[in-house]
Amino acid sequence: MTQARDVTTAYSEALVEVGGAFPNVVVLDADIPDSCMTEPFYRAFPGRAFDLGIAEQSLPTLAAGLALVGKIPFYNTFAVFAVHRGLDMIRQSVAYNRANVKIVGHAAGLSLGYAGPSHHALEDVAALRALPSLTILSPSDAVEVRQMVWWMAQYDGPVYLRLSRSAVPAIYAPDYRFEVGKTVRLREGSDVSVFVTGDLVVLALALHDRFAAEGIGVQVVTVPTLKPLPPEEILRHGRLTRAALTIEDHNVFGGLGSAVAEIYAEHLPKRVIRLGIPDTFTESDDCPVLRAAFGLSLEDAVRAVRRLLAAA
Amino acid sequence: MDMPPRKVVLAPDRDAARIWELQLDAVRMRRKILEMGHCNRIRLHYGALMSMVEIVTTLYRCWLKVRPDDPGWPERDRFVLSKGHGAPAVYVALWMAGFFEERHFDGFRRLHSILQGHPDRFKTPGIDCNTGSLGQGFAVACGMALGAKMDDAPYRVYSLLGDGECNEGSIWEAAQIASNLRVDRLTALLDWNRKSSYGWMKGRNDIEPLRAKWEAFNWAVYECDGHDFASITAALCAAEEVRERPAIVLCRTTKGKGIPYVENYPTKPNILLSDDAYAECLAHLDQVEAELRA
Repeated sequence: MTQARDVTTAYSEALVEVGGAFPNVVVLDADIPDSCMTEPFYRAFPGRAFDLGIAEQSLPTLAAGLALVGKIPFYNTFAVFAVHRGLDMIRQSVAYNRANVKIVGHAAGLSLGYAGPSHHALEDVAALRALPSLTILSPSDAVEVRQMVWWMAQYDGPVYLRLSRSAVPAIYAPDYRFEVGKTVRLREGSDVSVFVTGDLVVLALALHDRFAAEGIGVQVVTVPTLKPLPPEEILRHGRLTRAALTIEDHNVFGGLGSAVAEIYAEHLPKRVIRLGIPDTFTESDDCPVLRAAFGLSLEDAVRAVRRLLAAA
Repeated sequence: MDMPPRKVVLAPDRDAARIWELQLDAVRMRRKILEMGHCNRIRLHYGALMSMVEIVTTLYRCWLKVRPDDPGWPERDRFVLSKGHGAPAVYVALWMAGFFEERHFDGFRRLHSILQGHPDRFKTPGIDCNTGSLGQGFAVACGMALGAKMDDAPYRVYSLLGDGECNEGSIWEAAQIASNLRVDRLTALLDWNRKSSYGWMKGRNDIEPLRAKWEAFNWAVYECDGHDFASITAALCAAEEVRERPAIVLCRTTKGKGIPYVENYPTKPNILLSDDAYAECLAHLDQVEAELRA
């Protein structure tokens, strides 16, 4: 495995790259450009980055205004605040205006473990998935983040980029090209499909290896685009297996699991189990400890696969 | 369409003829707003609409640099109706300026109409931003003005707020940000009619002292009689001289102004006009017009 690269650092570098390529790219922050690693952009492009202060519900509206006069704003703060604090602003001023705003939610999921539940973004995808005109991207590694940022800068429309704070080894082939709306099969297997998004891809790959030793085929598919998610992008994998498991650093309601279940319910009579935070507020601790405590450990996944196989 | 010079102060004596024309425009606008509501059997916010008539007339007849035959003109002034429920008044102003034909009023608020219940930039020529959720349009306008400042753009950004809308915290966040970022291509106007939907704000959801609040947020503040064209233009002119900080014009207005039936309505005038009430309102406007023309 290649050396793990921090996703936020990759974002920071890509932001400067697109800032150089596209003069209309501007950056907004809410008092944490350090945590969001946007400071290099401020240095590279003085006059094109603005710290609004602790005013997260003003990020979507100021960004919408900038977008409506031709700028390409990327606004940054912790995912939990980037989405929920100004959700009506995202709905009305960004989505309804189809304003070319890029919402970057940092430290999503349980990334900010020690800070506790006030800082854990576990319902953000659920909140945004129901909004028309929004694209939702959830990268797994540094290579994918960079490609997504380049895509976002050139796509005309509102986008949410969900970044976790993990260092993930490169999981895609060197010739990987991110395509919006497409899922990616990383491992073949004909027993259970595992659909995963974000840095938990590492868990899904470990699950594949664990069951490979038993002769059970776990197919691993990443879902980098949570919206739009064309049904065929799930079905073309799901048809090949007997059941499905979804894994996300998010609540079991409204995120990837729900998206997959919606598609299965309409097209494929097979069982789906959703792994995620089980509709509860969490607690303070290190992120890996929390994931294990709230249903996102390898053993949780193993148990789920066995349940699926027993029933299939 | 005739285009007198834009953005000049109207003096009551020297510009009496122009002011007289604008007063007739205001009568026409009030008449059309009543017709929109009554003929479509719609409960309109008549109070909130009547208080903004002279403001909107000033903007579209004398002030905003816009091209009715080219609504997307990149160098146009931008206008964001933050008090989005005032859409009907803006629609009348856009029609009077030549942005679209009168027949579209027949479909107001109906499926497929170019005139939606609240401003929609995709459907109505001349609308720059979708609004309707109070406290947001103004913040979007601040963002537009920031972009304009970055580009040293040849246009200004305008936004009309309600006073009730100033209950929204998002207004004050944007006010701080615009001040901190020294956004000076922005002229905000505020329809200071001292009532919100449920009634008088005093003693309930009061925002006084309003002038002091905007000054405390480091805005340049001007006041005017929001029903007097000379007063409005003088305040706008002064506001646009301000550099390195944003400016707001507080327009002293009366909810329901211009139509006694609406102004004196005992409860909130978001009403379905009866045929008799409609006739009474029109008769008053006819009389006002007759006196102007005498």
